[in-house]
Formats: sequence, structure tokens, C-alpha cells
Amino acid sequence: MADETILEVTGLSKHFGGIKALNEVSLTLEKGSIVSMIGPNGAGKTTFVNAITGVHCPDEGSAHFEGRDVAGLPPHSIAALGIGRTFQLEELFSSMTVLENAMVGCHTRSHKGMFATGFSLPRARREEQTIMEEALENLGLVGLREKALSPIKKLPLGERKLVGIARALGMKPKLLMLDEPAGGLAAHEIDELVHLIYDLAGKKITIFVIEHNMPFVMGLSQRIIVLNEGYKIAEGPPDEIKANNQVIKAYLGEEVS
Amino acid sequence: MKKENLPATLPWIAIVAIIAALPLITSSSYVIGTMCFIAIYGALAVGMGLLLEMAGIFSLAHPTFFGLGSYSGAVLAVKGIAPPWAGTIVGTLFVTALSYVIGAPLLRLRGFYLACATFGLLVIVEIALGQLGTITGGHEGLVGIPPLSIAGFVFEKDVHYYYLSWAFCFGQLWFLSNVMGGRVGRAIRSFRDSELASKSMGVNIPRCKLQIFMLTAALASVGGSIYCFYLRFTQPGIFGFPLLVDLVTMIIIGGGTTIYGPLIGSFVITWLRELIHGYLGNILPRMTAEVDAIFFGVLIIVILIFMPGGITGWIDQFAAWVKKKIAGSRQVTA
Amino acid sequence: MTGGSIYAIIGICWSLVYLVTTVLNFTTGEFVMLGGMLTWGLHKAGLGLAFSAFLATILTIIIAAILERAVIRPVRFPTEMTYMMITIASASVIKGIVLLVWGSETRTIEAFFGTKVIQIFGASITPQVIAVFCLLVLVTAGLALFLDRTLFGKALRASAVNMVGARLMGIDISMVRLFCFGLAGFLGAVTGIFIAPITFTGYEVGMLTGLKGLVAAIVGGWTITGTVLAGLALGLLEGFCAGFISSGLKDVFALLVMILFLLFETISLTPKTRKRPL
Repeated sequence: MADETILEVTGLSKHFGGIKALNEVSLTLEKGSIVSMIGPNGAGKTTFVNAITGVHCPDEGSAHFEGRDVAGLPPHSIAALGIGRTFQLEELFSSMTVLENAMVGCHTRSHKGMFATGFSLPRARREEQTIMEEALENLGLVGLREKALSPIKKLPLGERKLVGIARALGMKPKLLMLDEPAGGLAAHEIDELVHLIYDLAGKKITIFVIEHNMPFVMGLSQRIIVLNEGYKIAEGPPDEIKANNQVIKAYLGEEVS
Repeated sequence: MKKENLPATLPWIAIVAIIAALPLITSSSYVIGTMCFIAIYGALAVGMGLLLEMAGIFSLAHPTFFGLGSYSGAVLAVKGIAPPWAGTIVGTLFVTALSYVIGAPLLRLRGFYLACATFGLLVIVEIALGQLGTITGGHEGLVGIPPLSIAGFVFEKDVHYYYLSWAFCFGQLWFLSNVMGGRVGRAIRSFRDSELASKSMGVNIPRCKLQIFMLTAALASVGGSIYCFYLRFTQPGIFGFPLLVDLVTMIIIGGGTTIYGPLIGSFVITWLRELIHGYLGNILPRMTAEVDAIFFGVLIIVILIFMPGGITGWIDQFAAWVKKKIAGSRQVTA
Repeated sequence: MTGGSIYAIIGICWSLVYLVTTVLNFTTGEFVMLGGMLTWGLHKAGLGLAFSAFLATILTIIIAAILERAVIRPVRFPTEMTYMMITIASASVIKGIVLLVWGSETRTIEAFFGTKVIQIFGASITPQVIAVFCLLVLVTAGLALFLDRTLFGKALRASAVNMVGARLMGIDISMVRLFCFGLAGFLGAVTGIFIAPITFTGYEVGMLTGLKGLVAAIVGGWTITGTVLAGLALGLLEGFCAGFISSGLKDVFALLVMILFLLFETISLTPKTRKRPL
């Protein structure tokens, strides 16, 4: 596994009015690694992802993705640079089919404008075909290829979450940030998710997961970062974190000797 | 696959064929003329419907672009500066540039506020056109606009404009449905569903909105030019609030969930109106405008309450219901 | 000044209905028109002026109530835009009916506060004008008291803030909504009656007045004090405009104000979120 740093975050802070959601959080991610971020509700995990992907603009600190300063860029630029994500609340495009959702993910990788598509020029049609095939491939990776033409509304929760991942893959991301991918999934679905993540890591995609599900996180990650009330309180391999008193205190509210 | 696009091509070939054949069946200039208006207004309504329903951009400025396109072509032609076809092109470029200037700041506004701001624009332009008497002929409008001529062929008869306007209408429909079926269209529908996800997937939302805004404005402008060369007359009052109400009525009644819905709306409303006028002309000769307002007002209310998807929405629902019934009965017999 | 007071009151009508019911009621302007026109019509039909005014107000309130019950309530997919379109359509219907019954000429009612011209600060004012301003003061004060002190007023405010919560607390939302519409009808009608002697009344009076009331509400941020201030300011500025520039453009002025205001609002909101542009 290459030891290159793909994401370097230094002193990231974000306030919302009086609330400090993120307090000088720093971390580094190495290429091809699987890292998780855990913490009690409201710890700032989703805010962190939002700050990195451009949904929020950080108030302090910096973030460098592959050496480029990305803090403060708008989301679509960050997507074009190769950071993909999924959402805790899915945020799928409910009026579209599974395939169309996946194809939107490929938006940054296609360029033909209105006129080419409007006049149905051959190069536009070819590009459309290419995107469709890519999207189908991504759907195949998550195992939903047969359901490509179903409307999103008809799919159960577990499958919808997979569509979210397939959609994010459309960007050919180098860093994939998953926000609570296991939430609401049944046991066998979680197993499949773990396999999928290993697959993706094998393709040299750096995976960053936010989760509550402890066994899932412990088994999957190489490194875990713990957030509490906007502060990073611990970082390390799963075994260390399990035994870390501060982490236990944050979750349970008391020390365990 | 996508409901918003033109459905299977077969019905459309039939429709185009019927439209094309109509002048051969009837030589009534009343029918041909009315169909002309249906095409022009229909095209305008389709563009506006796209903006309103599919992109969620509540811009009420469409009639303004229509009017400005009309006036540009008219003024240039009347003053002898440019022949009608050139005037159309110049007018369209002008309107497109204008839509960029207007759109860039205004499109950031939330739905209702955008509607207010663009409505303000609508009224302001209408008043301005009336005040600039020396150029635009003031409130009474501009007369004596020469007919359109391209490469020596002069569009003089109603029939000529009939084919021109329907060609434009169908052309626009084809072009827009291609756009909506492709990358840009998906992007538009995506930010309609979830802005957050859309921009995180790389969609540059402000730019997308501006693009579609400018495109529909340009199309409106061309329609406006065709309109003024057909009427040989133009007036500020045509492009104000009443036109806006008409367009919105067409969109609501025809149905905004499909691209072609407003065209059907245009067809239905125009003929309905003709029917009412004809019928009432005998009973209440001077009351047509009022009865119009009442009738269509009530119609909109009823449709918004009971058939929010308009005619096409209702047809879709009906088709789905039929399919379910068939599937249901199949299950029983199987 | 009359203009300002009118816009302020109408603006309040808009805000009230919008805050409590999320409906952008485009028939607000028509309530004003109905107040004036119905009074005129009833008076012409032989009823005494005061009684006509009274009846007109009652009728307008009833119409407003019907609007809420029959048109607004049944809407199944209540979005802002749907309400907007449906109220515009209703306004159109009301206008059409008025046009049908009474024709399109502008009408006027006798000034019921006398026509003596008074000179204040070099401007000539009639008692009618003062009456309109007094009306504004009364309405604002009355409303403020009502919302603050009475139980029902508080219920109104609660519903405006959180409709579900209010319902859970036992507040009857449908009564509250109906009341709001009725109140808007009442205020609109009374305003219409008061201004009819000053500015004429006719079937199209509604739209422009209603629009300017809307501008006042938007600029005023949908609060009562804000709306009142915005309305008065608008009226004053409009007056200057009509005096110095051509009076034909004064209507444009209100719309320009609105557009500029909306633009500045968005411009001030966006720079904070980005450290760097694209």
C-alpha cells in the first residue's frame, strides 16, 4: 500500500452561530487506506465531511487533497477533483431511475453541452452511451445491475444505499467518503457492504467511513479517528481505540477501569 | 425510460403528419390562423413549462423575452435597418445576452422571490416599451412590419406561417427533449430532487440554471419574432400580464410533468376559448374578456385541486391505472 | 402618505396570512377592491352609505372565508407556488365577476369625512387622508395588542411559528387559518372603503395596490413593524417620485425597489460561504 498522503487536514474549524461544530481537527489519510471516523451523535462527523467536500466552508484551517488546497471550494469543483461521497439521508434523486441516478454521478466526466445533445449529434450520443455503460458497471459493482431501470422509489433501504455508492463511484473518485453506509441495514447486507468496501480499496480508492455501528467499524478499518463535541479525542488502530478510556467515557459517560 | 421525454415515436409521427396535412384538408384561414397561434404560444409555453416545472426556476420573465424578440425584429425591419430574418437573429442574440445579465444575479433567488423579481421585470419592460415612443411606437404599437422573407421566398400567406410556426414548435420540442434526456437534463432534474447531492456529484448548479434559462429565452425570442412577422403588428400590451396568465394556464392545464404538456394545454385552451367566444358572442356580445377570466380562473382552480398534473398528468395516471387493472386480471386468470 | 398607509395595512394582510398559513394570497388586493366596489354598488342600489360600507365589509369577509374553505383547503399538494397560482386565479375570477356586474369604469364614493382642505406643512390634506392614517395607527396598535394580549392572538402567533406544535397544543388550526383570511378580508375591505373617496375604485385597483402591499411585506421581512415601516417608506418615496419624475413611472418604482431589495439580500448572503470563487 503506497504511503502517500492523499488528504491532509490541519486545524479545521467550523462554527454555526454560537456552536463550534468542529474544533481544530487535523488528520491525514494515506492512499488506499480504510479509515473510519466515529463519535457520539452530534460530534461533528458529518460536518467534517461537509467541510471537506465543500458543502460548508471551513472557518479556520486547511485541507489539502493530493497537494491542492481545497478548503472553500464549491462542491462541484471538489467533486471534479475526485472526492466522492454518500449521504446519511441518502439524498437520492427520487424522480429518476436507478440508472439515471448512477449516471448523474458521472456528470463530471462528460462534457458535451446543450447544443450537441440537443441536436443529437453523434459525439453526444456516443458520450451518452459511454456514460451509461460506466454507470451500469458501477451498478454491477454494488450488485444492482438488474434493477437499473427501476424507479428509485421502489427500492428498499439497503439497495438505495448501494445506489448512493454506485452514484458516487461514477466520479471515479480517489477518495470516497461514506456517511453512515451501514445505517438501517440487515446483517447480511452489512456483510456485503464490507466486501464491497474491501473491493473498492483494492482498486486503490481511499475509503473514509463515518459510522455508529461498532463491530462494523472495528472489523473494517485500519485506523479509527474519534470525534467528540467537535474535538478529535483519539486516533489509532481499532484495538487501541477499543481500550481508550476517553473514547469509552465519551460514549458511556463514565470511566471504566 | 424517462417520462419527461417524448414517448414512443409513433404517436408523434402521426401527430406531425396530421398537422402537416391539415392545410390540405381545410382552407379556412380561421382554422389555419388559430393553429398558427397555438403553435407559437405552445412553443413559448413549452419553454416556460420546462423552466417552471422541470428546472424549478420560477421565472415569470418569459413573456418579456418573447416580447423583446418580437420588438427587436419589428423595429429593425420597420426602420429598414435589417431584413426580418436578420432582425430575428440580432434580436435573439440581444435577448440571449439580456437573459444572461438578468439571470446571473436573479437566479440565485428562492422560488417565490424569483417569481416576484421577474414579474417586476415583466411590468417594467412593458411600461418601458410603451414609453419609448420614438423607437417603439409607444402604447399603440408598431404597425407596418414587413413580412418575413428568406432567400427571396416571402412569407405572405397564413399557410406559410402555419408551416413555419409548427416547424419551429416541433423543432423546439425535439431539441428540448434531447437536451432533457441527456446529461444537462439529468443535471437539471437532479438539482430539482436534491440540491445537496447534485452539487456533490459535480453539477455546477448556478451555471446549469443559467444555461437553461438562456436557452429558453433565446427560443422565446425566436418565437416572438415569428409572431410579429405573422401579425405584422406589435404592441406592448400583448406581452404583459395577460400573456403570462395564458401561458401559466396552458402549463397547468396541459400538465407540467412532461415537455409536451404545455403544447397540449395551448391547443385545448385556445380552442376552448374560441368555442366560448363563438357561443357567447350571440348571448353576451361585449362580455367576452370577463367571462374568459372567470371561466379560466375557475378552470385553473379546479384543475389545481383535482388534477394537479394537468391533462398529461391525468393521462399518465389513467394509463398506469389501466395497466394495473390488466396486470391484476392477468394474475387472476394465470 | 395615504399611499404609504395603504401599503402598510395591505402589507400586514399579506404577512399575516403568509406567516400563519404559508399561503401567498394574491386576492389580498382584491379585498381592497371589493370593499370599495361593493360599497359603491350597494349605495347605488339605494342603501345608505354607512350601511353599504358595513355590508360590503361583511360580504368581503365572507368571500375571504369562502376562499379559504373552498379553494385553499382542498389543495392536495400545498406548495407555495400552487397557492400562488390558485390565488391569482381566484383574483382573476373575482375581477371578472365584478367587471361583469358593474362594468369597467372607475367609480368613487363621497368622502365621508368631509372635503375641507387643510394645510399642514405646506401640503394640502383632506380629513379623509387623515382618516386613512388614523386607520393605520388603529390597525397596527390593535393588532399588536391582540396578538400579544389575547389568547387567540397568541394562538395565532404560535401557529405561525410552528403549525404542528400548535396543533399538538390543542389550537384549532382550521379556525386560526379561517380567522386569518377573514381578518385580511376585513382589513382589505375597510382600507378599500376608506381610500375610495381619495383614489378612485375600479376593477383593476386591486392588483397594483395588492402588489405594492406585497412589496412592503417582503421588504419589511414579513414582520408587522417592518411591514408598516416599509409601507410608509414606499408611499413617501413613491410620492417624491411622482412629483419629480413622471407620474406614469411611479408604479414602476415600487417594483424596482422590490427587485433591488431582493438582489441585495442575495448578494449579502452569498459571500460569507465561499473563501474563494470558482
